[in-house]
Amino acid sequence: MRNDLRVVRALGVRSVKQTFRRPQLMAPIIMFPTLLLAVQTGGAAAALNLPGFPPVDSFLQFMLAGAMMQAVLLAGNSGGIALAVDIEMGFTDRLFAAPISRYAIVLGRLMGTAVLGAVAGLWFFLIGLVFGAPVADGLPGALLSLFLVVLTSMVMGGIGASIALRTGKASIVQGLFPFVFVILFLSSAFFPQELMVEPAKTIAQVNPLSFIAEGVRRPIIGGESAGDVAAALAAIGGIGLVAFWLSRSALRHRLRTGG
Amino acid sequence: MPAIVVEGLERSFGDLWAVQGVDLEVSESEIYGFLGPNGAGKTTMVRMLTTLLLPTAGRASVAGHDIVTEASAVRRSIGVALQEAALDPLMTGRELIRLQATLHGIPRRDGERRADALLERVDLADAADRRVGTYSGGMQRRLDLAAALVHEPTVLFLDEPTTGLDPVSRKTIWEEVEKLNREGTTVFLTTQYLEEADQLANRVGIIDSGRLVAEDTPGALKAQVGNPHLELVLAEGSDDAAGIICEKFGKPLPAKDGKVLVELERGAADVARVVLALDEGGITVESLELVEPTLDDVFVAKTGYHLEIEEDEPEPSEAGQ
Amino acid sequence: MSRASNRATIAALMARARNELLRVPGAAIPGVLAPTIFFLGLNGVFGSLVQLRGFNTDSYLTFLLPVSMLQGAGFTGAATGVNLARDIEQGWFDRLMASPAPRWVLLAGMAFSASARALIPAALVLIVALALGASFPGVLALLIAAVLVMGMAGVAAFWGMTLALRYRSQSAAPLMQAGMFLLVLLTPAYAPLALLQGWLHDVASLNPVTKVIDAMRQGFVGDVSWSDTWPALLAIAALLAVLGAAALRGMNRFNARA
Repeated sequence: MRNDLRVVRALGVRSVKQTFRRPQLMAPIIMFPTLLLAVQTGGAAAALNLPGFPPVDSFLQFMLAGAMMQAVLLAGNSGGIALAVDIEMGFTDRLFAAPISRYAIVLGRLMGTAVLGAVAGLWFFLIGLVFGAPVADGLPGALLSLFLVVLTSMVMGGIGASIALRTGKASIVQGLFPFVFVILFLSSAFFPQELMVEPAKTIAQVNPLSFIAEGVRRPIIGGESAGDVAAALAAIGGIGLVAFWLSRSALRHRLRTGG
Repeated sequence: MPAIVVEGLERSFGDLWAVQGVDLEVSESEIYGFLGPNGAGKTTMVRMLTTLLLPTAGRASVAGHDIVTEASAVRRSIGVALQEAALDPLMTGRELIRLQATLHGIPRRDGERRADALLERVDLADAADRRVGTYSGGMQRRLDLAAALVHEPTVLFLDEPTTGLDPVSRKTIWEEVEKLNREGTTVFLTTQYLEEADQLANRVGIIDSGRLVAEDTPGALKAQVGNPHLELVLAEGSDDAAGIICEKFGKPLPAKDGKVLVELERGAADVARVVLALDEGGITVESLELVEPTLDDVFVAKTGYHLEIEEDEPEPSEAGQ
Repeated sequence: MSRASNRATIAALMARARNELLRVPGAAIPGVLAPTIFFLGLNGVFGSLVQLRGFNTDSYLTFLLPVSMLQGAGFTGAATGVNLARDIEQGWFDRLMASPAPRWVLLAGMAFSASARALIPAALVLIVALALGASFPGVLALLIAAVLVMGMAGVAAFWGMTLALRYRSQSAAPLMQAGMFLLVLLTPAYAPLALLQGWLHDVASLNPVTKVIDAMRQGFVGDVSWSDTWPALLAIAALLAVLGAAALRGMNRFNARA
């Protein structure tokens, strides 16, 4: 067990170093959501005038959670791509041939994704501070949101890892990204559920990403948060279980068939 | 008119000088072998001569055209098969050669006819309509060579054309290069394989760390080095003592693969004396081989180190037999 | 090289680009589907904006459709840049550069292929939008939209190729995509110009692609007129000229460094 933890840490450090040594790969995870945030904040800010829009200080304050969710999805996808590249290069064979837990290989990768998620969260809090959308619940609220963001990035990384393990191809993991994005759009990450258009509205009501987005958003915009946070944790747990099951199945398949 | 003229050609990348002040001339219909280890500057040289890279200083002309000021004319005259076979795995062999023909302005029907003939020539006719991604390494090289010939260039540049190929594929490429040369094509060939330069080239230029350190026919270069050398496999721990003894009979050479090497002026005539002296010095000779000069010896003489480690060395003869 | 051989080279390069669609169909699917996916997602999210005063339509689908068609053009053009970067990394580009084909012909071949391919995602998002009830804009408006989509794809291709020639690596792909992303979205993409706020209103007012979007919205929202069309054509022509020159410069200077 102790050795497994050491292995997870070592692979996690590798994963983090890989990410930060290639800023051109990390930049899109932060850059795209920031660009989209800027555009949507400027382009759709008039939505504040729509009847039924939640009470917020600014449209930016509402949108911060969506930007963070987008970043963690990108981070999860990026982690999956990195694992797929390791598979294509043969690096995972080196790990499989070592006397280490198979799960440590995936967990190590998820450490990197978690760090990326944390960086993304902090970045958007900073954006909010600079552009006049601070966290309504202060530092405790920010930490709570950040905690949810990091957990989400890990479970999304698990989904990415399961696809990487199943397919072994970076191009396929990358190609699935638009579909992951549509799932985010069909949630309340970017707009209040009540004001969305059907059928997106109905889908958003049952989409687990909606619960997570609401949980991340609540401390930022203020108000009673326990229920939203609990729902977010449950959704994260649910996705995590799915990710675990998919990864385990893909890992077993890979080890059994060699590909 | 020489096919290639190079005067003081240089190329630097920051503080790194990949090619330094190279002068050479390649006659028409000659096969010129450009020999050197990885990182010596061979590929940089080829890229400059094929207009893919501008020189930092110096001049060169290919087929009578300056590589900088008349680059388009150079490209019309040359065929190029680079170190990385620049092939599209999604295209078929036939499509690739036809595209090459189009790039060189060859009318469609002519291009099709030439493609068919070239594919036949390099023994790829049966695979012509398969995607290049399904080809073996040898097939890809042959296709690359065929593509370089579609416009019947007067000068052909081959950058390490047989690196990574099995012996049979290598031999096929060699035969094709020799045939092209008999037909009048000038060939500028870079290689890190001594045997390749020895077999194919009319003249060899040896490049090391960006400088041309020797240039002549393979025979003349080997004659410069002169003497054969003895390769000794000795009992463990006795190399230093053996070196002192061997110095009395000839010039010690850098060790190679754990063997002690000594150059012998009188060749085979000195072998017995060396073995006897080692025996009297209490040194056991496990095996020995008398080796005639090779281009590697030339390389050692010019640079101080070996060009290549032989992968499959012949069994050395037993000591005293 | 003669004009006939230049045309043949352009056609051959377009045929090669077509191979990627036909021979690896899975690879093209994300690029073809992505604009439609974003279209559906954005409509689902922001569709109720159309209730605000200032929209000249009651269908956000119809309002958004031209933006999504242009986005598809942007994705396709950026993909051309990524493909060039891959060709550079894998050595295929050396084959083109060592040939006597003029540099502008090589660029034109790649740009034309992007323009032609951009019609595929545009057609898909159009079909989906019409199926979901978007207004049919009329044949003239569709023709104008097709021309502008093809032009925009050429602009995106030149942008992508400039970056590919500069960075020589597929890792520059996000920069290629982000550039076009911004160019299309820093416009009245989500809402009419009058409803945009702060800096975005100022930027969109100056962004030449705003004219392109306005021209593409003709027929979908409002009537078709020459006065709304010619500024868009001029904007596309200017962008093609500027970015085409940048790409050509990058091509001509490519052999200055390894």
